[in-house]
Amino acid sequence: MAADVNRRDFLSGLGVTVGAALSATAGAALPVVGVAQAQEKPKGNIPDKPFKIGHMTFFTGPAAVLGEPMYKGQLLASEEINAAGGLLGKRKVEVLKADEAAGTDANVKELRRLKLSENIDFFCGITSSGNTPALGPVAEELKVLTMFVDGCTDFLFDKAVPNPHYIFRLTNIQSADGCTTALAIAQTWPKSKRIAHIHPDYSYGRNAFDHLKIVMTKLMPQAEVVSEGWPKLGTTDFSSHITKAIASKPDLIVSSVWGGDYVALYKQALRYGMFQKAKFATTLAMGTAPHAIGKDHPEGVIAGVHSNYHFTYPSGDKWPLNKSFVEKYHARFNEYPNFQAEGAYTATYMLKAAIEKANKLAGGWPDDEMIIAMLEGAMIAGPAGYVYIRPDNHQGYKEAIIGFSKHVPEYPFPILDPNRIITIPIRNITAPPGWPKGEPTSTYTWIDKTWPVVKA
Amino acid sequence: MSAPTRVLGQPRAGSSSRALLVAAPIAALLAVVPLVVPPYGAILLAYGLVMAIGALGFNLLLGYTGLLSFGHSAYFGVGAYSVALMVKYLRVGSMELFLLGAIVGSVIVTAVFGIVCVRYTRIFFGILTLALSQVLWSLAFKFFWVTGGTDGLRVPTPSLFGGLVTGAGDKTVFMSHAYYYYVLILFGACVALMWVIVNSPFGMALQAIRDNETRAEFVGVRIWRYRWVAFLVSGVFTGLAGALWVPLNGLTTPDIMHWTFSGELVFMTVLGGFRSFAGPVVGAIVFNYLKTYAVGYTVYWQLVLGVVLVTLVLSLPTGIVGSAEKLLARFQRSRP
Repeated sequence: MAADVNRRDFLSGLGVTVGAALSATAGAALPVVGVAQAQEKPKGNIPDKPFKIGHMTFFTGPAAVLGEPMYKGQLLASEEINAAGGLLGKRKVEVLKADEAAGTDANVKELRRLKLSENIDFFCGITSSGNTPALGPVAEELKVLTMFVDGCTDFLFDKAVPNPHYIFRLTNIQSADGCTTALAIAQTWPKSKRIAHIHPDYSYGRNAFDHLKIVMTKLMPQAEVVSEGWPKLGTTDFSSHITKAIASKPDLIVSSVWGGDYVALYKQALRYGMFQKAKFATTLAMGTAPHAIGKDHPEGVIAGVHSNYHFTYPSGDKWPLNKSFVEKYHARFNEYPNFQAEGAYTATYMLKAAIEKANKLAGGWPDDEMIIAMLEGAMIAGPAGYVYIRPDNHQGYKEAIIGFSKHVPEYPFPILDPNRIITIPIRNITAPPGWPKGEPTSTYTWIDKTWPVVKA
Repeated sequence: MSAPTRVLGQPRAGSSSRALLVAAPIAALLAVVPLVVPPYGAILLAYGLVMAIGALGFNLLLGYTGLLSFGHSAYFGVGAYSVALMVKYLRVGSMELFLLGAIVGSVIVTAVFGIVCVRYTRIFFGILTLALSQVLWSLAFKFFWVTGGTDGLRVPTPSLFGGLVTGAGDKTVFMSHAYYYYVLILFGACVALMWVIVNSPFGMALQAIRDNETRAEFVGVRIWRYRWVAFLVSGVFTGLAGALWVPLNGLTTPDIMHWTFSGELVFMTVLGGFRSFAGPVVGAIVFNYLKTYAVGYTVYWQLVLGVVLVTLVLSLPTGIVGSAEKLLARFQRSRP
């Protein structure tokens, strides 16, 4: 590997850009989210039986502030579809909800119940990356058409279900999350030397840590890990982890703590003056429902959104799909959407588009095989931008985004600084199709083997 | 020695012929379940039967020996992880080997844990069992390169009866028929075995220890050793349940080693009634339905379970089976 690459050139080669507009061209027949005014008449005979969606996410516990908006996103899309007559103008969508907080084992049982007893047509949702590897294989064996909104661990399609048929996943793959935050750090604070980490002690935290570390090894070779804290998921007391991180005298503290846990973390960190003592970067700070983060949140923090979406971007009239989504969501629920809400909303329309396309080709209500064939390689324009489902691994890909927390008068909570949004083309931070499965993830080995170590 | 005096409302030796009279129609009923109910019903009942084996083992300690273990999740987990590790490292796929592995694994772990725990009784025993189970839980949680951490370990569909029945084809059909019967047979065997154990001189001795430790010691019962054996048997039953549960769930995660799962085993047993032989069995099956449907129908499922537990303790201290027996007795008495 040629070592004489400098960081700035490499970052711009990756397409890491600040404040960029969306760069892609829309095809004539590209499906978009939302219900069109004049719908094409479906072909053939369509039954009027309700279309049942089983939706599972966190409705209780500290994870609910991040996971529950997912249900609202799906509900909003379903209501819009129903208001226009239903899927193919006939089948009304019915959403059954189930609490992911019941635990992995209860979730497996519940998925079985939804399919075998409630006869759902489609399974959607899931927040925790601990749950998709459990539910994915069960969905395959139950032969239930499934689109996970999140639960984005690389492990699902790398190992648990390497050849998915019935299951898809919409939001960006998890490795992208750690990479996005690491690239934002390399671009913003490239001189950081002493890095302290605080990550939740389960697969997501470890995945974030691995990818933050491998990208930093390449782009910030001078950086060293001076402290690691692994709070248990669902912890409310972070003081020992905060004091440990501060005691290691870091330039930068990085965290992938999320949901209600993150709210507890930043509030406690304020008391310890952590944000004055070191710079702070996160993967999921702004991933919770926006109103869950208070005005006391520090500004200028690298605030991750799971590398997926923040409701303020693309802003204004630049991308009307986002503007109208945020307005409709706010009108319906009196709050602003997070990336999960956007994911579930887009997933519902992705399904709708696949059903319509299959109907156009074959007429009548398409069977699951037809819908699956239409979903493979499908692309849709959603509020966040274009989402593409790769046919080989059924994984959704879209541009990764991250930004900096900022308080503005328009909102009672921090948002991403509109002038400093960082976007990265997803193909530059995820393993390409055909790349051999690796340990801990394919993306990890791909970065390790193909990225150069840059000169400062 | 005369027949042991029966302490009112405590498990006691029963007549085996009368027990058979009750058990035979229930067994027949359980055997036709997959033929008459939809697949989901049979799978859900299989879960209940598996938990019943675990609760039956648990109650040998609580109901018969008078020791409240708060760490039985450990043995359930050892059974489950034995299977998962056999799949991961030995590439084994036979259910019989799984069961053997789970028995060996849980014998080793309960033997060691038992030596530590049975020296104490009451709250000290409970806390010790809880602490030891949490040690195993944190090992399963932290040693993710071995145990898969929170992702757990996957267990594919096993082959049954030495490879005669395999899970090739539709897994739902396999689970609701072949596997259901497999669980049912083992459930029957476990119930029969437990019945023999509690009605044997060994079982009597345990009950004597429970009722009066000092007296039992005076008549020559070696308390420590009896408790230890009871602990071992109890743990192995629960371990066996863990092994049978894994293929149903498809994977094992540290959740089942956590003390909250021990709490569920206690809940099941209290729900059914720990003072009767059938109590834990009924409790486990009912709890399984209760939790599944509470989770399925409301996001306030924790509240539902909590209310049931409180109501139970306040109004039905003898559990479902105890209360049913009492009702039956009153009914019989009121008739001339």
